[in-house]
Amino acid sequence: MSTETLPAEKPKRNFNVLFGLTLLLLLIALWIALSVATPSFASEINISNLLRQGSMIAILAVGQTFVIITAGIDLSVGAIVGFCTVIPALVINAGWPVPVAVLATLLVGVAIGLFHGFGIVRMGLPPFIITLATLTSLRGVGLLITNGNSISIQSDAFQEFSRNSFIGIPNLFWMVILVAVPSYVLLHHSRWGRYLFAVGSNPEAARLSGVNVPRTIYMAYILSGLCAAFVGVLLASRIGIGNPTQAEGWELQAIASSVIGGTSLFGAIGSVHGPLLGAFILATINNGANLLNVNSFWQRVITGLLIIVIVYFDGLRRRGTK
Amino acid sequence: MSSTTAERHPPANAAPGGAILELRGLEKKYPGTHALKPTTLAFRAGEIHAIVGENGAGKSTLIKLLTGVMPRTSGEVLWEGGPVALATPHEAMDLGINAVHQEMVLCRHLTVAANMFLGEETVRYGLLQQRAMVRDAQKIIDDLGFDLPARALLGDLTIGQQQLIAAARATVRGTKFLIFDEPTAYLTRKEADQLFALIRRLKAEGVTIIYISHRMEEVFELADRVSVLRDGTYVGTRDIGETDEAELVRLMINRSIEQIYHKERFTPGKVILETRSLSGKGFEDVSMTVREGEIVGLYGLVGAGRSEFVTTVYGRHAKSAGTVLWNGEAVDIRSEHDAIRLGMALAPESRRDQGLCLNLPVGLNLNLPIYKRISKNALISGGQEKAHAERQIAGLRIKTAGRGALASSLSGGNQQKIVIGKWLNHGAKLFIFDEPTVGVDVGTKAEIYRLFSTLLAEGAGIILISSYLPEVYELSDTLHVFRGGRVVASHVYHAASHERILSEALEATTQKNGEQP
Repeated sequence: MSTETLPAEKPKRNFNVLFGLTLLLLLIALWIALSVATPSFASEINISNLLRQGSMIAILAVGQTFVIITAGIDLSVGAIVGFCTVIPALVINAGWPVPVAVLATLLVGVAIGLFHGFGIVRMGLPPFIITLATLTSLRGVGLLITNGNSISIQSDAFQEFSRNSFIGIPNLFWMVILVAVPSYVLLHHSRWGRYLFAVGSNPEAARLSGVNVPRTIYMAYILSGLCAAFVGVLLASRIGIGNPTQAEGWELQAIASSVIGGTSLFGAIGSVHGPLLGAFILATINNGANLLNVNSFWQRVITGLLIIVIVYFDGLRRRGTK
Repeated sequence: MSSTTAERHPPANAAPGGAILELRGLEKKYPGTHALKPTTLAFRAGEIHAIVGENGAGKSTLIKLLTGVMPRTSGEVLWEGGPVALATPHEAMDLGINAVHQEMVLCRHLTVAANMFLGEETVRYGLLQQRAMVRDAQKIIDDLGFDLPARALLGDLTIGQQQLIAAARATVRGTKFLIFDEPTAYLTRKEADQLFALIRRLKAEGVTIIYISHRMEEVFELADRVSVLRDGTYVGTRDIGETDEAELVRLMINRSIEQIYHKERFTPGKVILETRSLSGKGFEDVSMTVREGEIVGLYGLVGAGRSEFVTTVYGRHAKSAGTVLWNGEAVDIRSEHDAIRLGMALAPESRRDQGLCLNLPVGLNLNLPIYKRISKNALISGGQEKAHAERQIAGLRIKTAGRGALASSLSGGNQQKIVIGKWLNHGAKLFIFDEPTVGVDVGTKAEIYRLFSTLLAEGAGIILISSYLPEVYELSDTLHVFRGGRVVASHVYHAASHERILSEALEATTQKNGEQP
């Protein structure tokens, strides 16, 4: 009877895998092309540098993806990163040990996420609005705290962490793995992950199925805030100062990475590996453009075009499998 | 009424050669599916031509071909005698072919008038003639007997009213051929009558109408002729006066009508749910019991308080007085969460809006209420997830390419089965079905009714809300009639006639209108 709706259904999953592979292949192709085009690309220093550059956006993109899967958006993550470079600076300079500083910063991230959840669930504000408000005001709060100055962090150990490597791989990249593995388990193998998808697909149906929708929304924004705060710590370590104006525009890079990685801004579609690949593709393009002496203004144009092309093909793929 | 309609409105241009649209071997193949096998059929100018068939019988394919949404595989279409390509929706519209879809395609944020004139705005010197459009729209609405302001925002109207506006739009455009796809699925009786009046008016103006519906009584009330599709095959066309419901159903499904309202009766067990003088928003003083193995039907007009009563029991709204007893104990159900925990399950009226996560896999939908149970330390047991999904897919015979297929890829009936399946997985004791067969074809209806028997046999109780009298009448062990927020009558199985139940439910409107002028 209803056969007309059935064919072309099986290949769906294969397509998802295929899309992930396509991104991976694109990344590898970029690497090979750049290695050929410029000898400096494949150097150990540059690769480490590239991994460091991509890592922070990658972590932001994973956090952002949790939110986007619920059909929300978190515009505040760049501001959180900037704000969260200030906190370890203050705490460490006050003489507290580094772990305390890290913990305090992460708690700030959680608190900001809670605030977003509160605004969305309790006050009924659109995610775009509440996180936009945080985007502008949080940098203001940071500037008030620091009086507009940069604070040098007086701990060499803290700064060395981001420069060092472990078995040849930069510590910052290890941090991506540290975030990605639990994120993958959470998203694809825990019921909380299922609930994120369900809320993004149809909150009413989720609610009627006994899913605690408000709690799920809180969770998504807390995770995003937590990832952003963590990146704040890493950035503070990398640049050695606390300055709330850092990480300008990173929220858009995180969203772009997530979308390039196949996340649907309409919710309910997304993965962990997608945004990671997306972030490193963007990082590679910027890195490669620098090495090739492409005008940095052009880099922005290229990034924009790339987003259009990849999302367009992703849309074609989805329509093709419907 | 139904028998006289055809006589009163004899097909105006019934003479041979009066065909406005003719299909010659029209055919549509999708990869792997023969959605519409070669069909030869002529629509006479000015007739109301009903098309009936189960979901997947090819009705939607036919509409898509005629409205230019999809290209045909082979065959010819003649419009007023000349071949047409119907390659784009634009071409179809230019010819005067339009469709009123079941799902809304209007702009909720614009006014009724703006929607009616959308794309056909009255313009003078490059300026929109707002006032003239509102005036004209209001005139059309008044002429049709709809009690609506043309300045109202479309989004503020009920779904039914929006549908009426969608249909009324056709009168503004030079429509010659109008296709209605299940237009009454979400209409109240009154709204449906207004729609029928509109359809007859269009017919009187010479518009040819294709009317697609699952509701047989509507077909007999409206149509001049009826064509039947089954599994993509055109089965035949009948003059409405020469056929009856039994024959049409037989043509549609190869099964007799008695087999559809398949009702097994079970000896009721202990009381699962009892309400004592329960009152809340929209209903008052409702007392009833639901026992194991029993279907309790709630009949009444939309707004009579049935849905309000049920959603209050289910914890969505607070009760204002009375008690709810679950397994004999008074319980305080404050949220849907509480209701679900006790063992209630609500299959909501609007599957698409409330029941399913359409762009997620079938398996996820089936497991959504039980992830807590099949997880350990929040990690899901993949094996159990698979097992629970597969069990329902097999047990309910859900037609799907697999548990990984998206819920949106399934037909309406199979989507309904997912809603039921997820609550079976949950192990619910009391099932509340709110209009479970709206927009579902006869064959799937029969399957859903058989599911009821399965549930009853397992000791569950069912509350069935339906606006379709034959359904509640044939299935309910106890039938409560709602009117103006109160239960005005209760009958055991087949104890009262259709007419009596209908009048009990209907008096409400006349009285209510009288009380609240």
